[in-house]
Formats: sequence, structure tokens, C-alpha cells
Amino acid sequence: MRAKRNGIGHYSIIILLLITAIVMVYPLYNQLVISLTGSDYIVEANGTTLVPHGFTLNTYRNVLAIPKVARGVLNSIFITAAGLVINIIFTSMGAYVLTKRNLYGRSFFITMIVITMIFEGGLIPDYFLMRRLHLLNTYWSVILYKAVNPYYLIILMRFFDQVPPSLIEAARIDGYNETKILFKIVIPVSVAGIATVSLFYGVFHWNEYFRAMIYLTDEGKFPLQVVLRELLISAEKASFIGSMNYLKGTAAAQLDIKAIKAALIIISIIPILVFYPFVLKFFVKGRLQGSVKE
Amino acid sequence: MASSVRKRIVKDRQMYLMLLPVILFFIIWHYIPMWGARIAFQDVRYVGANQWAGVKHFKMLFSSPVFFNVFKNTLIISAMKMFIIFPLPIILAFMLNEVSSTGYRKGIQSVIYLPHFLSWVVIAGLFISMLASPDGAVNKVRIFFHLKPISYMTSTHHIRWVFVFSEIWRSIGWDSILYIAAINSISPTLYEAATIDGATPLQQAFNITLPAIVPTIITVFILNLGFFMNAGFDQVFNMMNDAVINTVDIIDTYVYRVGLMQGNYSLGTAAGLFKGVIGLFLILSTDKLSRKVTGEGVW
Repeated sequence: MRAKRNGIGHYSIIILLLITAIVMVYPLYNQLVISLTGSDYIVEANGTTLVPHGFTLNTYRNVLAIPKVARGVLNSIFITAAGLVINIIFTSMGAYVLTKRNLYGRSFFITMIVITMIFEGGLIPDYFLMRRLHLLNTYWSVILYKAVNPYYLIILMRFFDQVPPSLIEAARIDGYNETKILFKIVIPVSVAGIATVSLFYGVFHWNEYFRAMIYLTDEGKFPLQVVLRELLISAEKASFIGSMNYLKGTAAAQLDIKAIKAALIIISIIPILVFYPFVLKFFVKGRLQGSVKE
Repeated sequence: MASSVRKRIVKDRQMYLMLLPVILFFIIWHYIPMWGARIAFQDVRYVGANQWAGVKHFKMLFSSPVFFNVFKNTLIISAMKMFIIFPLPIILAFMLNEVSSTGYRKGIQSVIYLPHFLSWVVIAGLFISMLASPDGAVNKVRIFFHLKPISYMTSTHHIRWVFVFSEIWRSIGWDSILYIAAINSISPTLYEAATIDGATPLQQAFNITLPAIVPTIITVFILNLGFFMNAGFDQVFNMMNDAVINTVDIIDTYVYRVGLMQGNYSLGTAAGLFKGVIGLFLILSTDKLSRKVTGEGVW
């Protein structure tokens, strides 16, 4: 039994927490409202509008019809999915091998990986490497870039460490080879670990914009975040929707820039909002497993 | 001896085969760029091999007023963030611990972790919109109280505070998780005994909860110190504009702009290397400090 909590102190804490939560959500909610506001009311819509006047989904329909937005969504999905598959396969292979305590050279390999957490060549050598490998302006540049993240590798090692050794021994006696043990035994019993690391990688790929911005030159390959950044920074409707569309006065050209931005922000966070509730508990666990800062 | 080593390697050959691509990735994506950073000591030639240039680019860097300003900004922004933000997740964890309704606590927690998963592009978009003048939410409130609207994003007096506040907004919830876990692992019997002795919730917070999480606080502080040179590239990069560039330009944005965009590859790499070496020194010394204070290293 804890001290009874019903004094003024307790209530002010509850209210303070509520205010914190509102401050966290409000900026997103406000964008949602603006994105749903009808075109007749959009001019008045601003930071304190709480309800969308003249509710409409028109903005979303027209924003998704802008070619570079539609491409951006598809590119982001492709890069995230392809990147994730590669990340998970290789990170779990590395984590599985390095959890084996008596592996000859284990500490050498671990040291080699830890060094990369505290020192890096930097942006310009990375760029030159991409150029030498002829990966510039290919999807591979953003998919393969730092394909195995040392932090996530170590998080996954801690999960794999908890797999009962007897399980692995039994499989070895049954004649399973190591690859089969990893994919048929270790991964299936480490669902929480795989989920955690997948989500870290997934969020990383989905939110990635900088490397895409410098490695990709072809607009048709830009992921959504690059498209979003272009709009938020350049903030010019004509250049964003294309001057031809602008002059022809297409549906997208009729939209207010505020509404386009708001809709694009919301579109870009939908996948995160959809997965977020399911993964919350996994994320929290992963955060605790990895005592090192990301 | 040698033959027993060979025996072990042969026995584990499947293991090494699985490790091989992983190690290759690390060599390609991490070690080759480290070797590539030697262009900081070279003049880049478009035709033929690069020429060694000694520390020429470092001399240039250290005599450049622009780089001095960039270095200063990095330290200021990082220090502001570190010292102002650091106590907040601890306070938040304490407050959450005081909530008696589990449902309410879980609800609040699930909301305050969310911003951590948004990209800085999105967060910059949100803050630019919230702080817009005159019709962003913040200025609407100011106008309501008959205060003059402020153009926060283009004001050299405010932009660093925008960084501090947006960092708080993004990370306070997520960073509180470690403290919440530390608090949860405190034995309930301690609180029971204190309650019987008539301790108030405030006394309990100071005499039981706080001492129990001091090791966590120290560890996190030391860890933050180690990453001090990372003033937050993505944040600055997405929130900066020409009006405030001299106030917000940090080493990482300098490397991008002067090094990569303007093609001063050696100079940019030298700046990055300079930051990397300071960072390395900080991490290694904080690791030592951590071993001394908490008996555990950073790794």
C-alpha cells in the first residue's frame, strides 16, 4: 500500500500530465483539421482552428493525385520493405553468430562493430564510396546504406541470448544446420526481439530523407520525406505541383498551400499511427534492452 | 594450440559463413569511409591520384571565422539542450509514478512517446506551422493577450529556443522510459514501510524514489556528455533558414553545405574529422568516468 494520493498535489500532477499530453498531440491534430477543412474556409483556418469547417476529403484526393506525391508514397513503401528484409536477415545472422560465447574471434568481431558506433568516416567519404560503387541515383544506395545497424544488432543479441541453449542443442542433435537453427528455431522464439528491431529499422527507413536527398537525383525515385521536405522548405505551390499543372489550373492548383502541407504531413505519418498502438510495448522493451543511446 | 584453434574454426565454419556478409557490410559501410576520410589530408584531383597536402585544410579550417562560429554554435546549442532538457524526463517519470490510476498513466504514456517516431522533416513542418506569424497557434494566443506576434523561425533571438523546445517535445516522453523502468524496479515494501511511518508522497519521492534512480541518472548524464558534439543535424537542417543561419549553423550542417554542396571536399571532411575526434575523446573519457562512478562502462 502506497501513501494515499488524493491531495491537491495529486490532482495538479494529473492536470499537468494532461496538459503535457495535449501539447504533444495538438500540433498533429491541428494539421489534421486544416487538411480536412473545405476550400471556402481554408483561408481562415489557422493554428487555433479546432473543428474543420466545410469538412472535405478533397484535399487528400487531389494531393494524392499529384504525381510526385503518389510516386513518393510508393517509393517509401518499396524502400522501407526492401530495406527491412535485408536489415532483418543480416542483423539476425550477425546477432545469432555473435551470441555464441565460445566462437573463436568473437570479441574481435564485437570490438570491430562497437568501434563503428563511436567513430565514422563522415558524410563526404560516404558519398564518395557510393559514387565509386556506382550506386548513386539507385534505390540500392538508400536500401543498402549501413545495412546492419550496430545498435540494433546488439539489441537483438540480447534477445537471442535469452533463447534456451537446450533448444538449440536439441536441434543440432536432430541434424539441423546453423542457418536452419536460426531461421526455424531462434527467430520464431524471439518474436519480441525481431518485432522490436524491425520497428526500429522500419521507422528509420520510413523517416529517412537526408541520404535519399543527396544520393538520389532522379525525382521519380524520391521517397515521401524528400517530397515533403521540398514542399515545407521551398513552400512554393507552383514549383511543387509543376508549373504546367499550375498554369492549367488543375484540381491540385486550386488547393491552398496550407492544406497541401497539412495533408502531406498527415499522409506521411499514417503508417506510424497505424502501427504505433500495436508496437508500443515492443518499442518500450527494445529501449530497455539497448542501454546505449541511439 | 594452433591446431586446436583450427579445429574450432572448422567446427564453426557455418557460423563464420553467416557472419561473413555482416562483417563485409561493416567493412564496406563503415571502415572504407573511415579510410576515405584521409582526403582531409589531401587535395582532391578530378584527374589522377589525390595529392597529399598535410594539415593544410585543418589550418584553413581553424583560421576561418565561419568555422569558429560554427564550432561555437555547436557548443552553445548542445549545452542549451543538454542542461535544460536533462532534468525534464526525470520529473516526468516522477509525475507518472504518482498517478494512482493505471489506465490514466498508460494513456498518457502512449501519447507522450509518439513524437519520438516522427521524422524531423515532419516535426519541422509542425513547428513552422505552430510558430507561424501571425496565424500560428502560439501567436494567436499572444494576440489574444494583446502581445505582439513574433516570427520565431526567423528571429535570431528565438530560434535556438525553438530547437530546445522542439527537442523537448520530441524526446521527453521517450527519454522518461529509462527512469520509469528504474522506478518500477524499486521494491514496494520500501513504500509500505514509509507509509506506515507516516511519510507523505513528497517525502517518499525524495527519500525513496530519488536515491534509487540516481545511478540511472548518472549513467544517462554521462552518456549524453559522450554525444555532446551531436547538436542535432536533422533538427537544425530542417529548421534553419537564411535569416538565422549564423546563429544555428553547426559543424554537421557546415560539412554538408561547405563540404558537399560547394565541393570543398577536403575542407568538409576535415571539419567532420575534427568533430569526430572530439566526439571520440569525449566518449572514451566518459566511458572511463562511468566505470569510476557507477562501476559500469558505457558499453
